Amino acid sequence: MAKQKLQFSPDNPPLLPLSRRSVLQALGISSTAAVLGSGLAQAAGSAAAAPGDAAEPGAQILNMTVNGEPHSLKIDPRTTLLDALRERLQLTGTKKGCDHGQCGACTVQVNGRRVNSCLSLALMHEGDAISTIEGLGTPEQLHPMQAAFVEHDAYQCGYCTSGQIMSAVALANEPYGTSDSDIKEAMSGNICRCGAYSHILKAIKQARG
Amino acid sequence: MAPSTSVTVIGQGLPRIDGPKKVSGLAQYTSDHHFPGLLYAVPVTSTVAKGRITALDPRAALAMPGVVEVFHQGNFAGKLFRKQASKGKVDENRPPLSDNTVSYYGQYVALVIARTFEQATEAARAVKVEYASEPPNVSMRLAAEEKTSVDTERGDVDQAFTSAPVKIDQVYTTPVQTHNPIELHASVAVWNGEQFTLFETSQAVMNHQMVMAQMLGVQPQQVRIITEYLGSGFGGKLWPWTHATLAAAAARELGAPIKLVVDRAMMFQTVGHRTNTQQRIRLGATADGKLNCVSHDYLFHNARLDTYKENCGEATGFLYSTPNLRAAWSFARRDIAPPTSMRGPGAVPGLYALESGMNELAVALKMDPLQLRLANQPERDESLDLPFSSRHLTECLHTGAERFGWARRDPRPGSMRNEAGAVVGWGMAACSWMAKALPAKATVQLAANGRARVMCGTQDIGTGTYTVVAQMVAALTGLPLARIDVVIGDSSLPPGPMSGGSMATGSLVPAVQAATQAAIDEALQAAIEHDPRFAGKAPGALAFDQMQVSIKGEQGKAVLLQDILQAAHMDHVSGEGEGAGSAEAQKHYSQHSYGAHFVEVVWQPEIARLRVDRVVTVIDAGKVINPQTGRNQIEGAIMMGVGMALFEETEYDPRTGAPLNANLADYIVTTHADAPEVDITFLDYPDMTLNPLGARGIGEIGLAGIAAAITDAVRHATGVQVRDLPVRIEDLLDAPVGLAS
Ligand code: FES
Ligand code: FES
Repeated sequence: MAKQKLQFSPDNPPLLPLSRRSVLQALGISSTAAVLGSGLAQAAGSAAAAPGDAAEPGAQILNMTVNGEPHSLKIDPRTTLLDALRERLQLTGTKKGCDHGQCGACTVQVNGRRVNSCLSLALMHEGDAISTIEGLGTPEQLHPMQAAFVEHDAYQCGYCTSGQIMSAVALANEPYGTSDSDIKEAMSGNICRCGAYSHILKAIKQARG
Repeated sequence: MAPSTSVTVIGQGLPRIDGPKKVSGLAQYTSDHHFPGLLYAVPVTSTVAKGRITALDPRAALAMPGVVEVFHQGNFAGKLFRKQASKGKVDENRPPLSDNTVSYYGQYVALVIARTFEQATEAARAVKVEYASEPPNVSMRLAAEEKTSVDTERGDVDQAFTSAPVKIDQVYTTPVQTHNPIELHASVAVWNGEQFTLFETSQAVMNHQMVMAQMLGVQPQQVRIITEYLGSGFGGKLWPWTHATLAAAAARELGAPIKLVVDRAMMFQTVGHRTNTQQRIRLGATADGKLNCVSHDYLFHNARLDTYKENCGEATGFLYSTPNLRAAWSFARRDIAPPTSMRGPGAVPGLYALESGMNELAVALKMDPLQLRLANQPERDESLDLPFSSRHLTECLHTGAERFGWARRDPRPGSMRNEAGAVVGWGMAACSWMAKALPAKATVQLAANGRARVMCGTQDIGTGTYTVVAQMVAALTGLPLARIDVVIGDSSLPPGPMSGGSMATGSLVPAVQAATQAAIDEALQAAIEHDPRFAGKAPGALAFDQMQVSIKGEQGKAVLLQDILQAAHMDHVSGEGEGAGSAEAQKHYSQHSYGAHFVEVVWQPEIARLRVDRVVTVIDAGKVINPQTGRNQIEGAIMMGVGMALFEETEYDPRTGAPLNANLADYIVTTHADAPEVDITFLDYPDMTLNPLGARGIGEIGLAGIAAAITDAVRHATGVQVRDLPVRIEDLLDAPVGLAS
């Protein structure tokens, strides 16, 4: 199985970026209906076996809700929650900055609490409700925290931003104080190498009211 | 022709146009791209820093589930080529896997390809590699091992120093620093049998295309580079690194799209770093504080195979007036991966040393460091013997001092307290960064749907390029930003500037303006040809404002351009524009940005706690197109400056040559809790020698000088002068207690 050369499907040359969404739309499959992996395998129409089939021995079934949608995945036990979201569900708004729980770029909410998704194996989330940045708001209808980040320029490159926002939204339900130094302390697990910290602080204060 | 009414959009702190996508997770960064049949590549990295691979056994890895291929020297050599010296820039020239030599720890020695990331990661650990290794030299104590070169020289420095009434002679060192953008370097490579589409983490898509074509052995037209969003780079993503060539070549070999994401440990090994520097500063002055000599000798390390220059003397020649001056350099090779530009390359470590020297000279003179700077301002660039294009450093110093309250400074170490009773220290420094523009091209379309589209092969690395380019088009068309589409980050667009050296904005201004104007001219032509109301008119008789065409003097009867185009069945009119860059202007002017930093640190000796509490910075960087994104840039540089002064150092294990603290817990960067309160002012004097808006770049200047201001504040608080960055708590444990007060 392993060493034969793989051919990319000639009738689907990937000259343009295709998000999973556009692939599925092209196939007329809604993202909820598509069983992940098999949808992509069809789209590829290639010799390449997609993750989740026999090529992944030891894979186990995982049921979790992501942004309110139920998902059933057959998943390699080594897969982190972060990689499950990004590489299997193509929910790439959640970012990988270190894979070691040191930067906060991968912050999502699990049952309402903020979690570094890189430090958590996906299979540990059987039955859990996961919220990611994609579930918070859309460009047309931003969550107040997202809108405050835009208003206060609370980013530069934007790479830490999903994690900052997911962290900031969860923070509102944590027993932290509301002074500037409380917020700064509570947000220090989310590194912004671009250094937009004072803008992030302003955005959080505004969104918290 | 430019309507004066809408020019005001320049200088407005408008929100970023890419903001809503960034905050909702929809902005697509390199590693977010996904394709059917995608395979994952994970490199195997060398565990020695110097030596040779004697055996490499991929069998165990190949037998693991999902593994498709293991590339190594034995089956990969010859798949990549060396690029030609004059065509494109790269810091590591040796194609990866091309021979069995190892010249630094972490060098890629094999590449595992598997169906999933998990499979590739585990298989990469199973590749057995044996080495014949020698002890590496990764020592950060440097001696000049190569010939000495002189950056600039005037007068007789040695003689002037000998006879100077007041002088200082000190060595300052800065450690290896690693860029550590939060976005990991990544490549998603697609080969369709004829063409590469390469999603890259690149600060320079045009250069990336030129380099990749040569290294892959194909024509430039066969390579398309896409960097729609970049999770910043700070210089580390300027030139292609070896993982990019590996991913592309692997995609071609296997006929499948490949994703390769460099992990955080590799970020310390294979994608560059700022060299360490060792700088000797000798300053001599008259008793009343007139500089009579400046001597700046500096060393830095280089890799074994490639040569990079850390240009620490960049600002030395012109920052202050003095008859005798020399800046000279050499370097030493180490068994460390190639260094590269990191934010403010050269000037940032260089000004740390020079400005620290100025602060120590002020102490030696018993003079206020602010007064010392004010007393030595040059009339013209004494190094190049050219006038300054636009220099307002004196005003930066005065304005900063006033905003900070510098006049209240008691110069005695440990003498000042804040409201909470803690010891505070105040320090200051000046800064400078080059102002340059590169040649650039752009295309602007004005469309029948009432929108404008501007296209340029540049990229937004977080600096706000999307937004400032839209502002440039808005200024001439009167369109709101919401109706301007900025298309960048693609090498198939008209060639645009790299995002480096703070040059992108200044380079884009003339190209985007000219393209917009050319599109407006085309719009007027279309009106004359297709709209009976304008038939027979000369273009000069028509006016264009707010996307409307009118006859001059009859603006009340203006016609919407979109109506004209729709009636003429035209989709759009378009114009091309070009900027020549600043090479010509540099023959006549010394072009630089300037600034001043004032810093307050708080020192709590009882718990040995030091923090930077407050920074006031004043920047003279020409006309600032968007003060909101601009201020963010300066503030981000100050945050990095706090890290440079107090936290950041990549440490190498002398036994193995490995970067020891290759993760974000042990390589400490400024976090939210460390962030000082910051007050930033732009003087906003346009530099009209650079481009028609007078805009200079602002990405790096904020990091220049800040570390010297912080160490001076630390000295003022503790009485301890730290010359080797970063300041460590252990440096301060011996701080004299109960100082002046
Ligand atoms: S990627 Fe999870 S904390 Fe950095
Ligand atoms: S915006 Fe770039 S890391 Fe935070």
